[in-house]
Amino acid sequence: MSLRFTTYGARPLTRRSPTAITATRTGRGLSVFTSIRRSAWLALVGGAGAALVLGLSACGSSGGSISGSSGTGAPPGVLTPVSESLTGGVRGGTLTVLDHQDFEHLDPGQAYSSVDYEAVYATQRPLYSYEPNTFAAPTPDLASAPPQISSDRKTVTVHIRSGVRFSPPVNREVTSADVAYAIERGANANVANPYFATYFGSLEGAEQAEKAGNGGAIAGIATPDSRTIVFHLTEPKAQILASALVLPLSAPVPAEFARKYDAHKPTEYGSYLVATGPYMFKSSGAGRVLGVGYEPGKSATLVRNPNWSAATDHRPAYLNQVNIQIGGDPNVIGRQVLEGSHLLQNDTPAQAIVQLAYEQHRSQLEISPGAGTNYIAVNNHKGPFANVNARKAFWAALDRVAMNKARGGELVTNVMTHFIYPEIPGFEQAGGLAGPKVDYNEHPQGDAQVAEKYLRLAGYPSGKYTGGATLQVVGATGSPEAPDAEIVDQTLKNLGFKTKFSLVDKSVMYSKFCGTPAEEIDVCPNVGWAADFGDPQGVLDVTFNGKHIEPTGNNNWGQVNDPAINGMMQAAEPLVGAPARAGAWAAIDRELVAQAAAIPFAFDKEPNIEARDVAGVGDVWNIGSWDYSYTSLK
Amino acid sequence: MTAYVVRRVLWGVLLLILVSALTFVLFRVLPSADPARLRAGQNASPRVIAEIRANLGLNRPLPTQFWLYMKGLFLHGDLGYSYYSGASVRSLVADRLPATLSLTIGSAIVWMAIGLPLGIVSALRRRSRTDRTAMGAALLFISAPEYWLGLIVLYLFAADIGQVKVFPGAGSYAGLTADPQKWLSSLILPWLVLAAGFAAVYARLMRSSLIETMGADYIRTARAKGLPERRVVLHHGVRAAIAPILTIFALDVGVLLGGAVLIETVFDIPGIGRLNYDAITHADFPIIQGTVLLAALFIIVANIAVDIAYAYLDPRVRFS
Repeated sequence: MSLRFTTYGARPLTRRSPTAITATRTGRGLSVFTSIRRSAWLALVGGAGAALVLGLSACGSSGGSISGSSGTGAPPGVLTPVSESLTGGVRGGTLTVLDHQDFEHLDPGQAYSSVDYEAVYATQRPLYSYEPNTFAAPTPDLASAPPQISSDRKTVTVHIRSGVRFSPPVNREVTSADVAYAIERGANANVANPYFATYFGSLEGAEQAEKAGNGGAIAGIATPDSRTIVFHLTEPKAQILASALVLPLSAPVPAEFARKYDAHKPTEYGSYLVATGPYMFKSSGAGRVLGVGYEPGKSATLVRNPNWSAATDHRPAYLNQVNIQIGGDPNVIGRQVLEGSHLLQNDTPAQAIVQLAYEQHRSQLEISPGAGTNYIAVNNHKGPFANVNARKAFWAALDRVAMNKARGGELVTNVMTHFIYPEIPGFEQAGGLAGPKVDYNEHPQGDAQVAEKYLRLAGYPSGKYTGGATLQVVGATGSPEAPDAEIVDQTLKNLGFKTKFSLVDKSVMYSKFCGTPAEEIDVCPNVGWAADFGDPQGVLDVTFNGKHIEPTGNNNWGQVNDPAINGMMQAAEPLVGAPARAGAWAAIDRELVAQAAAIPFAFDKEPNIEARDVAGVGDVWNIGSWDYSYTSLK
Repeated sequence: MTAYVVRRVLWGVLLLILVSALTFVLFRVLPSADPARLRAGQNASPRVIAEIRANLGLNRPLPTQFWLYMKGLFLHGDLGYSYYSGASVRSLVADRLPATLSLTIGSAIVWMAIGLPLGIVSALRRRSRTDRTAMGAALLFISAPEYWLGLIVLYLFAADIGQVKVFPGAGSYAGLTADPQKWLSSLILPWLVLAAGFAAVYARLMRSSLIETMGADYIRTARAKGLPERRVVLHHGVRAAIAPILTIFALDVGVLLGGAVLIETVFDIPGIGRLNYDAITHADFPIIQGTVLLAALFIIVANIAVDIAYAYLDPRVRFS
């Protein structure tokens, strides 16, 4: 989970955080590049000009109906991680990565953003991981086989491989105790893993461990032998815990090396890392990474882990070394990558660069589906939108096509019609790209008549809101968030609402306003979500389950607390097996649409670029970010 | 003179404390991102956020936080540690300062070397074609945003993406001690771009200041005494006209030493400006505080230096 951030242009863009899209990658909004060919010159220098040109281009493209949209895949000639080849790369060479965004956390116990994952998954081996072209089927990584779930769904047993060794200076073979320590340190207050409580909180003794906060043993984690780890749960939530074993928290950490660093407040293990993956950060003899293989804001260097054995890993690890250069301007970086050699960019390219790549370097552009959702949170608890028909009226009136154009159009988005997004199991069962067939969802460009119909049903005979309330609307600054928020505000006014409209920094929007129910915000136009792993519960539970409403840091922004939906989620949570879970959570998705619990508008896709002599392989499970363990040089 | 300098230094220290307090209040009290929340990620529970807040010392009362910070700063020169990388702010600043110094000092030399002669020539040849051309060009460069100009220059002259591949492009910066030749070549474009706007401003300032000075009575007297025109202009005219420009120069250099974020970003130079910008986007308070203090320090020192230099340039100025 993680957001890719962008810093220029607007959000930033976050490259995402696995969970919520808190920032946006900069340069996300591209329009449909149909008719306008711009020179390379303009592509480089025309930041503002690009926006204008893109806007013109958008005006000239047709909105179309949902059924007529181009699908979730990449256009002809553009790469997509879904269909890429994972074998046949050339071994050797040094790849240079130009990223304008720095890492946030390199410690596997803390990492959660996609930019972190690029390095963490090349250097660490969690129990399970995804091959680059899937977000649905994890592959045993450090584990030797799929997890075994007991019939009462309260026990998960995992066997780990032999022959996996830690990098220097530890050097010894990994055991199940190292996995246990890695997960236990997630409850250490000095580490404070962000998703421990969500996915590992049902372990026996997890709550006590969190309260103690010292990283001590957790009763529910047993290691009967050096190759076996068993998780005992207090509730039948084995499946969600098993799914979460793809997260970096399950990557082994040697206690004898890390414990002294974990004693610091906050932990300093991120400055002294050891690896189990094919690569490791360049480090001193004592394992120090900070200032050696990682200079904050400047560079990072990945070299081969001498103790890695290809026989134990599904990753080919073609490259000898990866030099990551941090900083710079996305417009310049993009040009350097498109025209350079042995280069790639692993954070969000600038808008103008994506357009240039699409027009002139199409084979160097990758578009990844399944990069998350963007929707409008409306207050289900209080105010005019506590009325389901008022919410449906808002949904019906909204011009989602215009909002998508502000983000770049069909190359980088699809009109969002429900809440489970492409590549997540349950997406098709929930309605696919077209979404559920309800009248307020049928016209993505907005339908005033349908909106009036629902406002009448909501108790406003004129078909316009006449309640007199002034809506608090809080959106995010930057592009494309601000233009999207403006469209939302205007739509509300067209429906007869008075609004108090504010734009603030995206992090402030989440932390001070939309994530704090006491603020009683009626409409948050710029919220979004990306799953931590390929399970529909990870998309819908935290964001729409009433039991997750928190006084601060709340991610159920619309305060959706429908007993029927809550009950469906409770029933779906313990289900085991992807088909059963996909069906159950798709039904919940359809119910969310039936209740218009929020107003969806954009399924994100993510662009990435590479030099022409790089055979990049993107991770569909990590919003298309290039995977250093599969990428090779031509 | 000594008493004056001591007094100015003491005022400078007081000002630094005030700047520290203001920065502290601005980022902690007024609405801004919550660093604990940013660090924890969107999925973190309130407990985790609280734990991170405690780890970062943000759960302490604000006056306590401020006192601890100031104590560390003034007693140990400790600027704290980055919330993200855990690196010492002092080491981060020390690591980035050489790049910013290189950028600022080099560009200052360039803009003074271009701007002042241009302003003098324009002032002495008012309304001539030379004057009009110089001031027209100055207007152009003043109007050109340095970010945009940087992109243009890279596209034209950078060795990797330029149309005429002459100078090393973005990301080529190397430290002076590591590779002097690469240091020099990598900074030529950034120096020119950063200096362009300043040179234009200084040319206009020099022109107007010198025109005013050259109309003064003492200039007429100097000429009446039969002094050579060159001596009248340089010794009596420019010397007096340059004094107000020096004040602005000190401020500009001080500000740039605090970071030239746009140029550093466009040319991928790891300087103070980029460090500060990245810190702001992550609400990394210790780095923000450290870089703001550094910028304030440079401005204060530059002002004191100029005030001292003033007395030597203009005999009418006396320390008091």
